[in-house]
Amino acid sequence: MKHPSQATLALHAGGDLGPFARWRIDRHLADCDQCREEVAAFGDVRETMPELGEMPEVAWSRLAAEMQANIRLGLEAGECVRTGEAPLRRSLFTGVRAAVALASVAALLVTGLMIERPMPRTNLRNEGIVVQTIPNGIQVREGGQALQLMNAGAQHVTYSVGAQGSMRARFVDQETGNVTFNTVYVEE
Amino acid sequence: MSRNSVRRFSILGCLSVACLLAQDLPLDSPNAVKFNLKADSPVALLSASMGESRATPRGAALVLDLHMALSLRNTTPNRIRGVVLRVVSQEVAVGGKASVSVPSLNVGPGEAFPIRIDLQLMRPTQVAGGPLVEVDLDGVLFQDFSFYGPDRLNSQRALTAWEMEAQRDREHFKHVLAQLGPEGLRQEMLGSLARQAERPQLDVRLVRRRAVSGVAVSSEHTAQFAFLKFPDSPVEPLEGWAELAGNEAHAPRIEVRNNSAKTVKYVEVAWLVSDQKGQQYVAASLPASNPGLYLPPGKTARVLQDSELHFTRNGEPVNIRQMAGFVSQVEFADGKVWVPNRQSLESAALLRVLAPSAEEQRLADLYRKKGLQPLVDELKKF
Repeated sequence: MKHPSQATLALHAGGDLGPFARWRIDRHLADCDQCREEVAAFGDVRETMPELGEMPEVAWSRLAAEMQANIRLGLEAGECVRTGEAPLRRSLFTGVRAAVALASVAALLVTGLMIERPMPRTNLRNEGIVVQTIPNGIQVREGGQALQLMNAGAQHVTYSVGAQGSMRARFVDQETGNVTFNTVYVEE
Repeated sequence: MSRNSVRRFSILGCLSVACLLAQDLPLDSPNAVKFNLKADSPVALLSASMGESRATPRGAALVLDLHMALSLRNTTPNRIRGVVLRVVSQEVAVGGKASVSVPSLNVGPGEAFPIRIDLQLMRPTQVAGGPLVEVDLDGVLFQDFSFYGPDRLNSQRALTAWEMEAQRDREHFKHVLAQLGPEGLRQEMLGSLARQAERPQLDVRLVRRRAVSGVAVSSEHTAQFAFLKFPDSPVEPLEGWAELAGNEAHAPRIEVRNNSAKTVKYVEVAWLVSDQKGQQYVAASLPASNPGLYLPPGKTARVLQDSELHFTRNGEPVNIRQMAGFVSQVEFADGKVWVPNRQSLESAALLRVLAPSAEEQRLADLYRKKGLQPLVDELKKF
């Protein structure tokens, strides 16, 4: 089974995928416990640290209206001062240029919101500490915090579990030829 | 468009690109990773390359991809057989501990050897300063089984057991070479590679709950272990149970008796499970829960753990029908370690179920990549 990338799963957890991509990932998640866990982990990040995602309240509509009004005011003031004389040079914010400038500012604001938007609060799932295999590695996680050791392109990886709370991945490092054991531990 | 306008749009563009680039930051070694090697360390750090290590914000978290290529040098007059590096991230409270171990080494005095660490951390974006990850030496095992290190991860026992298995399997392959010649060794290697390819593996997820343990499931029932007993095993399993519910198992407990003449301080039982079709898998290793175990000759003790194990294969739950176990490792109070011999594993048909030893895996990989003669040359080095 081919698994989606971590970035795609993270975007899905945040509801940031387009409709088609979301549909595809939903179909995969229906059959894949492992990726479902990944998505849940990303979701947990958002709920365990909501304060990091919170932004001060900003009235974006009012801010945009004020900016437009100020620009309009500036243009009108320029017209008043001009009194029929040809300007020495054309104002920067007129016509197409003004539109492009406004669009750029709007795009910047939207991008900022997309990247740092407030995180929705969801119910916290108390699953405990989990050690498990993930695509190309092993992981120990609790809530939104996780530590993973990756197998770095290794073939024939052998996984073993210690019931006291550890997981081990063993493989031959393709570059060095040495057998390597990666182990993650549940912190006591 | 005037020159000033072009300049202004260029500045705006540069700022936008800078904002985007700031989301994905390369990591440099001094600030990201701290290597702690004591003055009397038997290995010295020659170089540490961070490669494509990056920090990437993802929502309210920061994802750190660390790809470290280390070069270490043996500064002692002894040959090094194995090394364990401990990797700690203090800021990830629960998942803050990992290790990278390299057994089956043969590093002479003054020689250098590489170790790679590929680590991914997910942590809160806003945390205190300091290194993201600290790497220190947990243990080094030498050819004469002497050991150096703080051993916080029980590296001495692990490295000693791996070296015992390595010696066992090297002797086996040397014996095959002596008895059956190169063609016999080739057949043995092909058999090993085939077993590795065909060996069934379960995906096991282990859960440790912080507060309430042993959450009962309505369909749960107590199942008994069947034991494989090896004649030369110093510790004998007597009886054992675990709670089963569908594809979940928890609270395994096994009673063992020390049949040897020496005091035992660690016992590990390999836990095998069978699915509805009778296919057998290795579920987990079951170490004694008490780190201060002290088991004098003739006495019994209980090996138990309070963990939940969830079994799946190819994304599908695997319901457990039967369980079996055997003593897979014993450490005596004098530091010596016992592992099953090759004949015991062969006679119990365990070689088909168990993973090969680290050394067998390394030798088989060497044969697969380079052929028979380099394998023969490698065996002659030991």
